[in-house]
Amino acid sequence: MTDQPLVQMRGIVKKFGGVTALGGVDLTAYAGEVLAIVGDNGAGKSTLIKVLTGVYQSTEGEILLNGARLEMGSHSDAIAEGIDAVYQTLALADHLTPAANMFLGSELTRNMLGIRVLDNKLMKSEATRVLDERLGVRLRSMDVPTDSLSGGQRQAIAIARAVYHADLRVLVMDEPTAALGPQETARTLKLIKTLRTQGLAVILISHSLDDVFEVADRVHVQRRGRGVGVVKTAESSVQEVLGMIVGAQDAAA
Amino acid sequence: MSDMTANDKTIMARIEPYISIIGPMVMILAILLFMGVTEPTRYFRTSNLTLILLDAALYMPMAMAMTFVITQRGIDLSIGSIAALSGILMAFLIKQYDFPAWIAVPIAITLGALMGLINGLVITRLKVPDLIGTLAMDLVYRGLALVIAKGLVLARFPDLVTDIGRGTIPGFIPIPVVIGLFTMGLGYWALTQTHFGRYTISIGSSPEASEMTGVAVDRHKIYAYVLMGACAALAGVMLTGKLNAIQATSAPYFNLHVIAAVVVGGTSLFGGRASIVGSLSGVLLLSMMINALVTLRIEFFWQSVASGVVIVSSVALYAWMQRKDRDGTQGLMVKLRSKEAQKLIRLSAFIIGALILLLVLGAGLATEAA
Repeated sequence: MTDQPLVQMRGIVKKFGGVTALGGVDLTAYAGEVLAIVGDNGAGKSTLIKVLTGVYQSTEGEILLNGARLEMGSHSDAIAEGIDAVYQTLALADHLTPAANMFLGSELTRNMLGIRVLDNKLMKSEATRVLDERLGVRLRSMDVPTDSLSGGQRQAIAIARAVYHADLRVLVMDEPTAALGPQETARTLKLIKTLRTQGLAVILISHSLDDVFEVADRVHVQRRGRGVGVVKTAESSVQEVLGMIVGAQDAAA
Repeated sequence: MSDMTANDKTIMARIEPYISIIGPMVMILAILLFMGVTEPTRYFRTSNLTLILLDAALYMPMAMAMTFVITQRGIDLSIGSIAALSGILMAFLIKQYDFPAWIAVPIAITLGALMGLINGLVITRLKVPDLIGTLAMDLVYRGLALVIAKGLVLARFPDLVTDIGRGTIPGFIPIPVVIGLFTMGLGYWALTQTHFGRYTISIGSSPEASEMTGVAVDRHKIYAYVLMGACAALAGVMLTGKLNAIQATSAPYFNLHVIAAVVVGGTSLFGGRASIVGSLSGVLLLSMMINALVTLRIEFFWQSVASGVVIVSSVALYAWMQRKDRDGTQGLMVKLRSKEAQKLIRLSAFIIGALILLLVLGAGLATEAA
């Protein structure tokens, strides 16, 4: 972890009509750390990361990447800056192979008699390489449909897609373990730790404080559209964070 | 337990690519065996086999295109009318306006592509569900064909048109078979090697995932309908050439026949699973079956019954195989004993009982009157 923040969100306000979803939120993430965002339903977690990934444009406030102000009009602008997200649904087409899914929407091509056609062989070898080198995942076969894989392997493919395509610096993961069993959850958390060692800033949204305390370095707590505090997991406890989430830390003290 | 399912899945995954042709292949073998026993001389005559191939060739381009449409979770019911309308327009260009055949044929196919484009726009831009949209456009195209041709039968076309429909490369196979197999090959290439094929599967597999990863879902749906329209028009040209005649009411059942062939071939109506080889074997199966019925001198009207039974049984077979690898098999008797099954059994018994009662009553009254 370096002292220069990789991403800074400053005074982010997001209004939908008359409803204020975010009322001036600050968020800082460093390279090589896992930052968890926790909070109750409706606390503004999803809105916050959608602003960060360019899906929403904030009403007020600014986003800095390595100290430079970003202007993002869409999600693809964010991807171009090296900010991508893996959604809970993973956005995988179940009938396609892992490689086809990894390159879905930006296939590698080769030239055949002047026509751009898919380079299935290259995509397969690249997918195998990225899964192995970056995520330490080896599939028994790369030729099976994606829906025959386990939850953790599917997660790995969705992550591999983000890792391959951008010069990825910030990866947002929205509830990656929500639909997984204990074993698959452990594997996914291991993937997150692997990404951290590669110098990425991983921003993890999770309802599971156990998972958060296992992988995250710091926790950003959202409540009712505002950031109510940031704690280091090493210096805090599940009870303290829980208290911040429900707004009872004063009463508890 | 989890190990067991993982194992099952890999076995399923291993045979998955072949599933699509196992069904039709088994049925084709059954037909061959049956005809080999009952009518070997008449069924396996070269002239009869050529007849089967000629019949199948007509449906090959459409089955190829329909594979893409269905894989994207779409359907096109307007292909018979597109074939008829394009054939009629080509006939008018040739007979009334003295267009040379070599330009009238590509015009017909382009018109088919245009009709497919209209279908695609109706579905993606006007948001009319494909079933209703193409059913309505079927009425439009058929109506236009009737408006233009009235009751006329347009006949006698230049050699190019009849060659496309029934010509033979000397010492080789019929030209329509060459065209049909060529379009199938093109379809296979497009499905496996192009963006269009890849996105066809992803759109059918998960429209949301495709949208999220930046696939132009609507545009690729339109591509499929354009391909479908062009292939239907090609079939219209082939049909015109085969019969050396065309009228507005030609090709009434193209849609159901082609959908049947594709579905029998293992392409999933629920999207995402495509098989061009399966569609080819589906087309062959239906042509062989219909020819077998003719050879056995079974009344023409039974064809419709047989086609329906083949469709239902093959779709049910695929659905069953899909279920088996998802949540394991359950004994038939266990299912029959469940509350839901009991209710359905009672409903069936009630309907059949009422029918028997009414029949008995009717028969009684009939004898009384006599």
